[in-house]
Amino acid sequence: MRTTRRQFLALSGGALGTAALRLDTAPALAQNAPVKIGVLAAKAGVLAPVGESGLRGVQWATERVNAAGGILGRRIELVVEEESSPKDTVERFRKLSLQDRVDAVSGAISTGVGLALGPVAEEMKTIWLSWDATTQKGVEETMPKPKYSFRSTDNECEAVMASMLTARHLKGKFRTVAGINPDYSYGRDNWAAFLAIMKKYGIELSVVSELWPKLGATDFTAHVAALGQAKPDLIFSCFWAGDTPIFLKQAHAAGLTARTKLVLTTGGGVHESLKKDFTPEGAILGYNCLYFDWARASALQKEFVRWHHEKFKEWPNYESDHGYFTIVAYKAAVERAARAAGGKWPAPDAIIQALEGVEAESLSGPRRFREDHIMEATFFQGMTTHRNAHDFVTIDPVETMTTKQIQKPSGVGLYDWINSWKV
Amino acid sequence: MLFLVAAGLQLVFGVQRILNLACGSFYALGAYAGVSAVAWALGHGLPAPLFVLVLVASGLALAVIGPPVERLLRAVYDRDESFQLLLTFALVLMFEDVMRFVWGPAPVQLGNAYLVYGRLAVAGSTVPVYNLVVIAAGGLVALGMGGLLTRTRFGRIVRATAENREMSAALGVDLGRVYARVFTLGVALGTVGGALVIPATAAVSEMAIEVVVEAFAVVVIGGLGSMRGAFVGSLIVGVLKAGAIATWPEVEMLAIYVVVIGVLVLRPAGLFAGAAP
Repeated sequence: MRTTRRQFLALSGGALGTAALRLDTAPALAQNAPVKIGVLAAKAGVLAPVGESGLRGVQWATERVNAAGGILGRRIELVVEEESSPKDTVERFRKLSLQDRVDAVSGAISTGVGLALGPVAEEMKTIWLSWDATTQKGVEETMPKPKYSFRSTDNECEAVMASMLTARHLKGKFRTVAGINPDYSYGRDNWAAFLAIMKKYGIELSVVSELWPKLGATDFTAHVAALGQAKPDLIFSCFWAGDTPIFLKQAHAAGLTARTKLVLTTGGGVHESLKKDFTPEGAILGYNCLYFDWARASALQKEFVRWHHEKFKEWPNYESDHGYFTIVAYKAAVERAARAAGGKWPAPDAIIQALEGVEAESLSGPRRFREDHIMEATFFQGMTTHRNAHDFVTIDPVETMTTKQIQKPSGVGLYDWINSWKV
Repeated sequence: MLFLVAAGLQLVFGVQRILNLACGSFYALGAYAGVSAVAWALGHGLPAPLFVLVLVASGLALAVIGPPVERLLRAVYDRDESFQLLLTFALVLMFEDVMRFVWGPAPVQLGNAYLVYGRLAVAGSTVPVYNLVVIAAGGLVALGMGGLLTRTRFGRIVRATAENREMSAALGVDLGRVYARVFTLGVALGTVGGALVIPATAAVSEMAIEVVVEAFAVVVIGGLGSMRGAFVGSLIVGVLKAGAIATWPEVEMLAIYVVVIGVLVLRPAGLFAGAAP
């Protein structure tokens, strides 16, 4: 099903030539023509592994939907484009909308790209189902009451859950903390949320070191040395890419992991690279919305995990599930709107209305889009263990929390919400 | 490690007047190839402590990509620097795709080779012995390069070419061959550097860009084309970075570029400008 760049270029060249013709014939063909879904998947740099993973989820969902007869009899056809810088990605979004005339766009991970895409989706009047690309700041300004954008879960869900687990399991076991987080909104917001929640739980602590390596850094020896001098009881980090294994490896080599508790909110995204050699047991580790080895997983997740491992020799991570959900949610919304429209293919506005509050079975269990276009899902975290058949760490026991518990409700500020907790 | 990459950059610029951004890609390629080579060698029963030799060997072997890349760069030898930057940056992007194609998008790493030589307690902090091995290797390469450039016939020819290429061509030096060899040597410095650093980190496709930015800071501080400049410049950048992170982490990048600006204002040609490569 994969479209190579070359085939894609040929296709889009042909599409250009026949654009005028298609304008006339499009309405007549609509019932049989494929549903076109544009995909924005990162292919280079820090985001590449995550982008690849999201794309796999989208492709698997598409194959299954098509094998089962498509959406109301129409096959899904994917038009895959690349997510890169905000400026270029916005251009590709416009191209998907204007030239490929896609029915919806699925994808985008980077917060910066997401902020840029929001207004463009409104302007192009094209439904955009984001995989991630969510943050606190800027969203209200650039996407006030979005109509066409549907966002992922809040960025801070992972930090909120990891902080709750820290309070539950480690309260009284640490006094000094250090943070090492990537130097952009995701890292800054998660660290601030962690400190606010510790305060809310009445945990007295002193911050002995705050380190902000830039996103994509590959050497942390100097940071590890600084942490070694600061001697914190606990280190909090929301590293999520290649930075996680590199930091852990260098921290382990410097003897830091033996005496310090670790809270890794998001490292489970690169779980296979967290080798037992250097990743200690007893660290809090977050897997976002999909834990590949969950004993209570649905048959659907088990089938996907098996397929993924056979095909790619890797165990899947959360972004596959974000990608998967965007496709099945779109299908569910179309079918929901069609029921109201007497079985006919619904108008875009009806699909949008149906997406609000739509529920669908994701790989990791039921998910839905809230009426304010934000995703609701289940998160997976736990304490690392070496007792498994792999050469990397897993978690045991697996703790789950839903966005009902760890995501701020619609229309409330994050810190107002945290302060309103009764603990 | 920064020194090895910067030294490669210096050597190539000094002799060929080419600003080679792709030196970062050689570093990344060296890292990826190092992982594969060591995994293969250990799989064939190599005793673990010998893995450093495998890394160096794989780095050197990878230098075979030097001559063909040099052949490609000949197209821009006498052009404006901006063409050189464009072409070599294109190479960076292409190599990144090649690496992703061959090794996949996920980080690639060596098992626990990092701690094979154990750890050492130095002044209250713990240092993996392997770090000292790498420092020693950097020093050896510096000495070796010095010896090669000042004491051998090849070194004399290289220096003469750097000084005045028309004159050395007139004296019967085959410039094409000198260029190919020098460039290959520059590639080898990058690939060996990448291979040696891999036990302590993980190979990711973006490492090419990261190292090339720092290498350029080193080169500006040390002076373009100067080998001693590369050595001192990389020491300055390394110490500045570590010092900033330990005391005031926010200024890590700023500190380096303040020094870069200072050097550009006070000694625009760099600390060791005009010295032989």
